Amino acid sequence: MTMNMHLDDGQLRAYLDNEIDAPQDQLAAGEHLAACPTCQARLGELQARSESAAHHLAFLAPSSSTPTAQPQLEARPAFARFNNRLNQSKEIPMLQKFLRPRTYAAGLVVVLLLVIALSIPSGFAWAGQFLNLFRVQQVAVIPIDPTGLMALRSDSSLGQQISQLLAQSVNFDQKPGAPQEVASAAQASQAAGFSVRLPDNQSLQPRLVVQSGAAFNFVVDRARAQALLDESGHSDLVLPQSLDKENISVKIPNSVTASYGVCPDPTADNSSSILGGSNGRRYASCVILAQIPSPTVNAPPDVDVKQLAELALEFTGMTTEQAQAFAQSVDWTSSLVIPLPKNAATYQQVTVDGVTGTLIQRPADDAPEFALIWVKNGVIYTIGGLGSNSDQAIAMANALK
Amino acid sequence: MAIKHSRTSSSPLERADTGTPGDPGAFESIFLEHWPRVYGLLRRLVGDDAEAEDLALDAFLRLYRRKPSGDGDLNVGGWLHRVATNLGLNAIRGWKRRQHYELESGKMDLVDNQPATPDELYAGAEERQRVRAILVQMEPRQAQILILRHSGQKYQEIAASLDVSPASIGPLLARAESEFERRYRAVNEEKG
Repeated sequence: MTMNMHLDDGQLRAYLDNEIDAPQDQLAAGEHLAACPTCQARLGELQARSESAAHHLAFLAPSSSTPTAQPQLEARPAFARFNNRLNQSKEIPMLQKFLRPRTYAAGLVVVLLLVIALSIPSGFAWAGQFLNLFRVQQVAVIPIDPTGLMALRSDSSLGQQISQLLAQSVNFDQKPGAPQEVASAAQASQAAGFSVRLPDNQSLQPRLVVQSGAAFNFVVDRARAQALLDESGHSDLVLPQSLDKENISVKIPNSVTASYGVCPDPTADNSSSILGGSNGRRYASCVILAQIPSPTVNAPPDVDVKQLAELALEFTGMTTEQAQAFAQSVDWTSSLVIPLPKNAATYQQVTVDGVTGTLIQRPADDAPEFALIWVKNGVIYTIGGLGSNSDQAIAMANALK
Repeated sequence: MAIKHSRTSSSPLERADTGTPGDPGAFESIFLEHWPRVYGLLRRLVGDDAEAEDLALDAFLRLYRRKPSGDGDLNVGGWLHRVATNLGLNAIRGWKRRQHYELESGKMDLVDNQPATPDELYAGAEERQRVRAILVQMEPRQAQILILRHSGQKYQEIAASLDVSPASIGPLLARAESEFERRYRAVNEEKG
């Protein structure tokens, strides 16, 4: 460093922090400063500015009077939570999709439940549940082993290939539009084209959003689908020949969501990659009621839904016998089937709104979640929220007018 | 039925990136070593224990999932601090966007996690909010350098986080502090 010339701001700033690279340079800078009033004055300015910034930034330090001071500084328990979260985030995307706040935010809870079979990478397999599904009359839950679907994560190469296959075989007759906010139940009914029901036990006005429906059809390319099954290590699963070139069409009606409390913005794309503890706190008051008339699916009568369902179940890791037994227990032409990862969530039947509904609960330390689903008069209702207090959801369901 | 799903995926635990190839304990030791500072940094930045932990875990998850890039000499600490400050600044931006709605529903609570407070504490909360508002408006690298330096990091460490040479920290810091002061004054003048 040449000390005949004045020090520049960067050098002076580093000098203040005793951070000039080499010790001899720090020394030389000190000598120059001692003899140079210009640099001294400048140093004084920089020092004042730095101290002022330090003073303001010091406000960011958490108050030491907080009773729970620094509980998470302990690295060991934090690592346990890290592993927890790592396992949690490995759950199959579909559970996350329908239980996570982002989905509520998009106003798509119900729509997602219904298009899950077609939109997630395993679409062709899960599509089995929708074939010949002309009217949803009840909800059926199938516990599955999520590890069986790990290969289908959208970031895996198999997942990408399947998405590609779907993208190439699906034709939209009507694409879903942007969510539209409305002011009242009457407006929502008018915009959505069905009679929207709201609970009369809520003091707050909900935020109402209408999501337009979609219609699409796809032609099954059996050879490609089978090739992907083979590649995933499932060459033992054989898609029926009769499936090839079958045209299946799906119509999803408009849906309406009513958000109560502090909920994520329905139009924002919260790109946070995983379920987060802070969301659990932030949106703890959020409860979202969604409703949608049953979608309709048309498929040629020779498509064997039960057989496809068995294939799908085997794909998730069930044995052939288990899959057969399960496929037998569900009426595939009238059930909305929800695949639920084992160990990640529990479900039970509850009586709500005069019918039998299903309450799904996902216990978690940081952000427990629940979803209540039932079908009445051809309309599918869900109430979802964070927290473990599902009683309010049942009360809300029973107060629908 | 055995599902072969792990054919192509390689566990980051075994990545050369994170130190010892093939050692499943490598990530754990990285985590234990860096957690206190990453968490402390975020706690300072967002001022909320739960959110800080959430963001810190997110930063480590990103490290865990980071694609092997071949840069064997990745500075893990620097990388974590950069990602953590980015996550923290983004989170603060998120709060600001939400504010109007929260105000509407009467849920706005500036001093969320603080004990019941006299005016003094409220003023502290207001100042914190002002400082955060300024940081998120600043150019991200300038905000980062301020946060890192004023949480006590050495130039060498800051340089590793920002991927610049240690010699450039002095000039960058001088500019960042000057910019911070300019904005702080502007905000105060607005307030009248």
